[in-house]
Amino acid sequence: MASHSTASAVPAPAVSGRRKRPPSERGFLFTALAPPFFLLICFYVYPTVFNVENSLTDLSLFGLRDGGEWIGLENYVELMTSPDFRRVVWNTVVWLTVVGVSVRIVLGLALAFLLNSATLKRWRLSTISRILLIVPWATPPVVAIIVWRWLLDPRVGAVNAALISLGIIDQPIAFLATAGWVWPAVITIITWNTLPLVTLTFMASLQSLPHELIEAAEIDGASKWQVMRYVYIPHLKPAIVIMVLMSTFWTFNNFIYIWLTTGAGPGTYTNVMATEIYIKAFIEGRLGYSSAAGVVMATIMTIFGLIYLRVIAERELKEEGEA
Amino acid sequence: MTHDKIARRTFIAGASAAGVALSAPAVHAQQPVTITFRFNDPEAPQLRAALDEFERANPAIKVTMQRVSWADAQQQFLREAATGTAPDVAQLAFVWPRAFGGARALKPLDEFVRRGIGVRGWDDFVARDLAVGADGAIYGVPWTTDTFAIYYNKEMLSAAGVSAFPTDWEALRAASQAVQQRTGKSGWAFPAGSCGTPSIWFFLNYYWWGKGPGLVDRNPDGRFRISMTAQEIQDGFDYYNRYLQEGHNPRASLSVCLWGAPEVVEGMVAGNIAMCSVPDPVAIEIATKWQQRNPGRPLPFASAPHPAGPNGSKTHLGGRMLGMGSSTRYPEQAWKLIEFLNKPDPTFTRHYTNYTPAQLAALEARTWTPDLLGFPAQLRTARSWGAYGTGPVTIPFMWNAVGRAAGSAFIGEKTPAQSAQELHDALTRELARTQR
Repeated sequence: MASHSTASAVPAPAVSGRRKRPPSERGFLFTALAPPFFLLICFYVYPTVFNVENSLTDLSLFGLRDGGEWIGLENYVELMTSPDFRRVVWNTVVWLTVVGVSVRIVLGLALAFLLNSATLKRWRLSTISRILLIVPWATPPVVAIIVWRWLLDPRVGAVNAALISLGIIDQPIAFLATAGWVWPAVITIITWNTLPLVTLTFMASLQSLPHELIEAAEIDGASKWQVMRYVYIPHLKPAIVIMVLMSTFWTFNNFIYIWLTTGAGPGTYTNVMATEIYIKAFIEGRLGYSSAAGVVMATIMTIFGLIYLRVIAERELKEEGEA
Repeated sequence: MTHDKIARRTFIAGASAAGVALSAPAVHAQQPVTITFRFNDPEAPQLRAALDEFERANPAIKVTMQRVSWADAQQQFLREAATGTAPDVAQLAFVWPRAFGGARALKPLDEFVRRGIGVRGWDDFVARDLAVGADGAIYGVPWTTDTFAIYYNKEMLSAAGVSAFPTDWEALRAASQAVQQRTGKSGWAFPAGSCGTPSIWFFLNYYWWGKGPGLVDRNPDGRFRISMTAQEIQDGFDYYNRYLQEGHNPRASLSVCLWGAPEVVEGMVAGNIAMCSVPDPVAIEIATKWQQRNPGRPLPFASAPHPAGPNGSKTHLGGRMLGMGSSTRYPEQAWKLIEFLNKPDPTFTRHYTNYTPAQLAALEARTWTPDLLGFPAQLRTARSWGAYGTGPVTIPFMWNAVGRAAGSAFIGEKTPAQSAQELHDALTRELARTQR
């Protein structure tokens, strides 16, 4: 009622909530928005539409000049009924993404707390620890992978040499060629190279936490666990939400770590969606089929992103805003 | 006055433009044409020296050498050809010209070949069938040829009690096992890893071809069929799996994919591996490195053909071809380069010395060092890829699928029987899809 009476007293533009923009302002907005829209259409919309179109053809690497023939949803049917593709999806979702991201988030949190701890500051190790933390992040993935491949090599690798000299194993382990070890080894490499960003993000969030809050909780008799549960974690929630989302996108789409570390092997043991797309397109020459796999991959990520933002991120960020 | 000035200016400008236009062809003719040559083998400095020699002999042509790894060379070339940016001359695998010709990525060379090529002409080249497309046109000129033979350390085999090199597959496995049991070193440490182009593809085919049919064959009616049973495929998986299970090929070999990998070369040079199956350029590399580390000592290596089955000792006739990109603007210059590179002297006598020209005249004239005598013996029994190259299921598809199926069996991801059956099903599906 109140709003109704207020609305009647105010001129028309305020009632609708939409003010008619003067032509000059519209022109400015159009001019400002046109270049990014143009770029989006050129570099995102067009390639996406082109890829979807290709996925409905039998386009081959050997027939690029002629183009592919329309085969409707055949590629999608083949994908959905292929046991190999189901295995690829499983590897991508469970091993690469769920396990990989979880390890990174948990270790990132632990490391952030450690680097933010008073003990490190007391021993004047904070700065050097932070510098050391940056080193893996500053290492290009290709270099990191080559170094780790040598470290894990069963013949000359330092990891095997150390384990043997410590008496933990008596025979070297082919970490990147043994079914039981290859996924942990790959996740170790990815984690080593990408953990610093996660840790730094959490550290930045931790450092913005007012110390008075912790002191107040401690004065109120809160245990360390309760401080963690009711002060630190709620404060870190927005950072965790964002890092989970970003890490999931990066990891799910990742190609380089798997391809350069294992070549999607041994066998098909570490074949993920990105490597499957590459194999189908550039080794087997089936561009149409790999386009279909790409569409499925993008769809899975879009659905994940929407659900995540809608259900989890929105709630968490809203709670944070209200707080 | 002004009118006169304009007229004079117009005259001078017109005369200058005409002069530039008339002199342009002369200037163009004086400037060397630059062509590109795509080279994928490791011997880049040696090839560059050969190209320098070509440039000195042909001052009007400059050659830019491009490098791409073999693993990426096929898709890179096809993508470039589709957009008209492929190199003028490219080094190709033996089995590529037919498919590339079909993709219109290569220029037909019939007109050039008719002018004459090589020491004794076109008929003297090996593997000419692989150079011809489905339309009958010539799309490549065979450049080098090789095959795999077993290169082994005589002293290590002798220490294992093996006096004569085994001639059947089971005896080879027994010799490999004896090396491990008697010396503690590896026997035949073949690369067993999975990747897009795994070595195990070759070794499995040698085993299958020696014992029976290949994966794909051609019917009398011209259609193709999968000519092996799942059981026959599995026999190959089982054979090589035993090396890993018995430990004379260490499980570390599961992380090695390529035949000339540093692990293989270094293992042979250091005396940690007794045998390897490699093409002769890799054997020469091993011998050279060994001699550098052991100056004055007699070379402990020898070579022998692969074991024989009922069909004899069968390996593939491999090698490289040279092709011309379909969009080249300088076909005459490109052909000059192809002609030059195919002359045994100086390319093979001074620069690309680890390789054998793909011409019978040059093959007959080649002298082999004693440790390499197994290679010419193996070349005599090597077979063409045949239906693999001419059939609808592409070699890259089979190469990848066979390597991954074998890898799954080797690491225990699947049983050899399951892996073999799945491979058989995948090949059958692919044949049905591509032959319809």
